[in-house]
Amino acid sequence: MPSDTTGFWTPVALSADLPAGTVMPARTSAGSIALWRSESGCATASADRCPHRGMRLSHGFVRGEALSCIYHGWTYSRGGSCTRIPAHPGLTPPETIRVTTHAVEEVDGVIWVAVGEPTGVPPRFDGLAAFRSLSFGAGVAAIEAAADAKATAQGLLDAGKYRFLLAPQEDVLTLAHVLLPSDASPSDRIAASRAAECMRRTAEDIQTKGVA
Amino acid sequence: MTKNAMVDEWYPVGLFSQLTKDGRKTALMGEPIEVRVNGNGGAEVATAEGRVLPVRVRYGHVWTSLGTPHKDVFAIPEAEAPGRRYVDVGVVRVRCSPLRAVENFLDIAHFPFVHTDILGAEPHTEVENYKVEIREDVDEVWATQVKFYQPQAAKSASGGITTEYMYRVPAPTCSVLYKTCPPRPGEWDVITLFVQPLAEDLCDVWPWMALYDDETPMTDLIHFQQTIFLQDRSILENQIPRLLPLDPGMEIPTRADLTSVAYRRWLKRHNYTYGAQLVAQ
Repeated sequence: MPSDTTGFWTPVALSADLPAGTVMPARTSAGSIALWRSESGCATASADRCPHRGMRLSHGFVRGEALSCIYHGWTYSRGGSCTRIPAHPGLTPPETIRVTTHAVEEVDGVIWVAVGEPTGVPPRFDGLAAFRSLSFGAGVAAIEAAADAKATAQGLLDAGKYRFLLAPQEDVLTLAHVLLPSDASPSDRIAASRAAECMRRTAEDIQTKGVA
Repeated sequence: MTKNAMVDEWYPVGLFSQLTKDGRKTALMGEPIEVRVNGNGGAEVATAEGRVLPVRVRYGHVWTSLGTPHKDVFAIPEAEAPGRRYVDVGVVRVRCSPLRAVENFLDIAHFPFVHTDILGAEPHTEVENYKVEIREDVDEVWATQVKFYQPQAAKSASGGITTEYMYRVPAPTCSVLYKTCPPRPGEWDVITLFVQPLAEDLCDVWPWMALYDDETPMTDLIHFQQTIFLQDRSILENQIPRLLPLDPGMEIPTRADLTSVAYRRWLKRHNYTYGAQLVAQ
């Protein structure tokens, strides 16, 4: 797994879990982000902190092509600049008021975010599609031990009938996206989903017992 | 942590009406304490090691201090006026700095977004200019001529009105709000926020009210105020950093935030820094 923090693409969520007009919290190696999709369908990754009073922007709301803070309604464009301060409707916010944004790419149903200047493009997994995400209370080593397999540099781990795409969140927290062949039947998906949940229990056991 | 001036202040540690002989275990600024009623029906507060602390009973609450208070618990003369109903709202525990809880209470610009359709509603988001001062004679922060459009300003209000407010900070973790009183034009309702600092990033908030309202059932008055504070909690537990930044640069105030600017300046001037973040740290 890549351990450097800058420039690498992180698979933060699945496209299907971020409908238009919504915002959710997500994590990269550099910390928490507010991941949101505008009404027109564009995904944006903003710093998860409104510079006004420090409120998490992932608790905010999306209207049109902008994200607003839930505390005082300060509104940020996809580029990160503050466009509106509701307490002062007549004021054009100075350009110095802005939030950091990160590069976002969506590939085959996976939303990738790069912190810093991206190095190349996110990986493609031909013939595979992501269909659900699970949070593991375990580190990558424990998941590898549970699956008896090693993750690739891109975070792909072969679990037999399905693959995991792993995104480490914190020491003992890993986001795992389940990938299956794009033409997998509904019953294959249900089976893979259950198998992934089993794998989670095993990995969390290993983590707890300190075997990994 | 360095000892700071806040040790010598008074803090609320419980509702007098709910005291028992068995006592209530709680904490003040990281120190475990116990609050109980004694044989004479009075309130008693002691640390876990048995050190007896000074006690006052005011505004329905028991007040104490870990240090040596230089003055008595602040006065609220308006609350003594006859005909008022006193509302012990109870307690809301919030995982935030006690200073952030007070600052949020002083803020009106969040009403349309956090207390939607109760204390505010879009498109009425503008905060008009108001007056802020640190009154040197009484050493308190005051904001006056604060006006805001509210869909339902109080339980006793029917329909939207422009409400006028005055805010007062008489102690580092306490604020008193004077608010237009719908049934009695010319009088002010008194709504207070008494904050008990359990730790630098954890507090018990004890709202208390002295209202001119003989109609609304007590349960409804309590529910109304609890709804408001639970909405505030969803904000207060998600601010970064958890401590209140006292030095400029971390956060961006505007004209609508002048009360907060004065409050932070006043805290810093007095070395009231329990729950605050300073650049030097």
